Amino acid sequence: MSEHGPGIGQNLPGAGRRGGPVNRRKIMKPFNWIAGSVMVLMVICLPLSGQGDTLKLPETVTLDNLAHLYGGAEFDHDMHLDIAADCTECHHHAAGVPTTNEKCARCHGPEDTLEAQTCQTCHAVDPFSAEAVTAKETDPSVYHIDKPGLKAAYHLNCLNCHNEMGGPVGCEDCHERTEAGDAFYHSGKYAPSGEGTSSAH
Amino acid sequence: MSKMTRRKFLSVSLAGAAAGTFTLSGKAIGAAGFTGYPDGMGVLVDLTRCIGCRTCEAACNEEQKLPAPAVPFDDHSVFDELHHGGTQKRRTDENAFTVVNRYEAGKEGQPAYRKIQCNHCNEPACLTSCFVNAYTKTKEGAVIYNSKVCVGCRNCMVACPFRIPAYSYSSAFNPVIRKCIFCYDTRLKFGRPPACVEACPQEVLTFGHRKNLIKVAYERIRVNPGRYVGHLYGENEVGGTSWMYLSGVPFEEVGFDTTLQKEPILANAQAFLSNVPMVLSIWPALFLGFHRLATRGGEGAEEKPATEKREDI
Amino acid sequence: MKSLVKTGYRPVDSVADEGSGRRWSFLEKLLLGLTLREYLRQAVRNPLNWILGALFAVGFPLIIYRFIFGLGVVTHSSNDYPWGLFLGFGLFVMVPLSASGFLMGTTVELFGRKDFKPILRIALLNGLLGYFFAVVYLLCDLGQPWRLPYPMVVAWGTAAVLFLVGWHVATYLTVQILEVSEAFFEWAQWPMAKQFIKKMTIGLTIAGIILSTLHQGALGALFTYAPSKVHPLWYSQEFLWIFFFVSSIFGGLCMVIVVSSIVKKTMFWRADEAFRENLDRLTIGLARGSSMALITYLTIKLLGIAHDNEWAYLATGWGQWFSFELLFGVIAPMVLFAYGIRNQRVGIVRFGALIAVLGIALNRLNTAIIAFNWNLYQEIPHIFEWIIAFTLFGLYIATYRFILYRLPIVYSWKKVPVEAYAKATEKVHSHGAVAQPSTVSREMR
Repeated sequence: MSEHGPGIGQNLPGAGRRGGPVNRRKIMKPFNWIAGSVMVLMVICLPLSGQGDTLKLPETVTLDNLAHLYGGAEFDHDMHLDIAADCTECHHHAAGVPTTNEKCARCHGPEDTLEAQTCQTCHAVDPFSAEAVTAKETDPSVYHIDKPGLKAAYHLNCLNCHNEMGGPVGCEDCHERTEAGDAFYHSGKYAPSGEGTSSAH
Repeated sequence: MSKMTRRKFLSVSLAGAAAGTFTLSGKAIGAAGFTGYPDGMGVLVDLTRCIGCRTCEAACNEEQKLPAPAVPFDDHSVFDELHHGGTQKRRTDENAFTVVNRYEAGKEGQPAYRKIQCNHCNEPACLTSCFVNAYTKTKEGAVIYNSKVCVGCRNCMVACPFRIPAYSYSSAFNPVIRKCIFCYDTRLKFGRPPACVEACPQEVLTFGHRKNLIKVAYERIRVNPGRYVGHLYGENEVGGTSWMYLSGVPFEEVGFDTTLQKEPILANAQAFLSNVPMVLSIWPALFLGFHRLATRGGEGAEEKPATEKREDI
Repeated sequence: MKSLVKTGYRPVDSVADEGSGRRWSFLEKLLLGLTLREYLRQAVRNPLNWILGALFAVGFPLIIYRFIFGLGVVTHSSNDYPWGLFLGFGLFVMVPLSASGFLMGTTVELFGRKDFKPILRIALLNGLLGYFFAVVYLLCDLGQPWRLPYPMVVAWGTAAVLFLVGWHVATYLTVQILEVSEAFFEWAQWPMAKQFIKKMTIGLTIAGIILSTLHQGALGALFTYAPSKVHPLWYSQEFLWIFFFVSSIFGGLCMVIVVSSIVKKTMFWRADEAFRENLDRLTIGLARGSSMALITYLTIKLLGIAHDNEWAYLATGWGQWFSFELLFGVIAPMVLFAYGIRNQRVGIVRFGALIAVLGIALNRLNTAIIAFNWNLYQEIPHIFEWIIAFTLFGLYIATYRFILYRLPIVYSWKKVPVEAYAKATEKVHSHGAVAQPSTVSREMR
């Protein structure tokens, strides 16, 4: 785990340990991203609308809520289920399967599941807002002080694995760039006509 | 000559003494070994996460309202650019406050990337070299610049050990120093991270209080054995910087100057500056004494006719 | 000029024409007692004027170009080499070569060595012009030259070595203007002003020593801000300011030898007896002083290497370049001086001084440009930058010559009997007011 997802394995929230998640939810303001307009993605993992006893897994997940510079990414959950050794590859300890990462396992047992399996339950959309920074640095009950934000959690986890497994790694392999993105990167029809500035000196 | 001379002498040397006194006070500031404001913010740059997407460059360009680039920000051919006889990779300039370069130094044949921008030193060389105090180290940690008083001597560019400040040579009437200001005016002042940090998809850039980032950095080194070289660049270099780096490959292989001193750059000038009060206070009496000795001695007789000749026009 | 003097012409060197007792007008003094036509004729005959003319014809438009379109059009706009030729040569070379003013001032006025008086004024003038043109170069280099007074009045960057340099160069320039103004007041016949300056001599001289010691050293200390950029052989945290100060001592003295030699070669008609007869002897004296400074300099240079244990660098290419600088710029002049002084061979001494001056220039260029960024790449300044640097140096030469021709620098203003002087002054008071406009109107027509 530590090999694929730098930081993520160690950065699991203290889920199940009462207090941790509660605190986190308090500090998480899902719409802070509006202020940070360059935020690339926000996710809505379609809820694991588990009714009754059987756990119903989503076939695909659309990661598209922000979709500012890039459009939404269609995540084929089924396909990844087949590839991944088990759920902990992505869901750490939270999916009811014992974690294989021994560092995580020291605190998080198999019973340590979360009701919601969405990434943003733990990974903040706006990890560097003043409130988030203060909470992370001053709240002594926060153990995972180095937890990536949501966008980084996706990219670090997906890209690292894709790199190793030979999956697609180009930006637009997963999500198409929007016109706003083209403008942002000065690309496509916003490409410089030639007499731009160069960093030659 | 006696009375009049001495009074005149005093008035003339007053200006010099004044300059010397100012320098003294400046020296005192520097001598304290300032290590940055306790609540200063910083950024931890984890180069092992960087994929060279240049989104930070684009974000900086947008946030700082810089002119359009020569090539799109998603064009990776810039990594092959070499300047000055094929020796130099891209650097910051008046239109690019941050630049990502690629190095063939990565593990297992993978390239390594390095983002550069102003490191916002705790005791900045640019600030202490500036004779009009154009620079300020804010309590938030940013090193900002006041173009209104800048004379354009470019001593800060000479002094910066990271070669960051650039000059808008193209401007004839209002050329100024251009460099990363930690998005101070638009973001940092309000507690928000700089644009590049927010834009980075990989969270190569971690924003937080500098003193906490040091803890985070060492924690990453500790729990990921083999991933990092065991050094936090910027923790102590030239007195410490607000922006600090972790790397998976030796720092000198990705363009860092690893020979930098631990002390702030200002410390180097102190050997000289400490002589200033001595010269100012001892020289007048010393040389006046020499003068008395030399002219009242054996040559006194010889001197007289010469003086007389000079007196009349 | 030389040929004119051969035909019996005598340049203005006193208050009034000796034959008629008529007082020289300002214009006549400016034209050295020649008519405008005669003056222009001799100017055209002088090949140096043609060289300077050609240089200025190219250089002045370029300077204007620079001020209209910015530094970017005449330099490579290098962010790695923020200081090019304008400062590397103009400031860092000109200033040590101008240390002559305070050195000779100290020798003559403070230590009472009145025997050096014949070359005192040329040493003072050399100091003044060197500093003045260092500031001219600086103005050309500053991004916003009109803000040069800012460190004095608007914002004080008190922790900066450059702050000290700025203040000291400014005050010392003032001191030097006052020192040289004595000669100007003689020439312009303002006896009251001259007396006023004379009374300040000792004060000015001591102020000169203080300011010079500090800022000659400060120029070296400026580079301690760039420890990772200046090559270790040229860098020394402890000694750099001492290197700069000590080398300015022989730099200044040798520059006086060089300039006075040029005067001897090209302007001897302008020199008076005292200058002519004493020059060779005084040149040897200056060389003696320089030798002491050279030996000191060499010693501390080696000490600097030993202190930082940089011997290994001597085996590299940079080490060879460094050794060349020391051999050529320090040891060669020392040998030449030793030989020249022992055998009273003034020619050898003069040659040695020229080499020492070039050696200083090389040292400063090495520190500021060549060995700067030694681990990066070598910047070759833009062709326009060279031309402007040469143009300003040409302007320096032209100004130097203009003043030497006129002010009593290498000659002494002729004593006129008191009655004649009084008469002459009277004449001018009544005459001057009428004569001046008529001269102008004649020219206008």
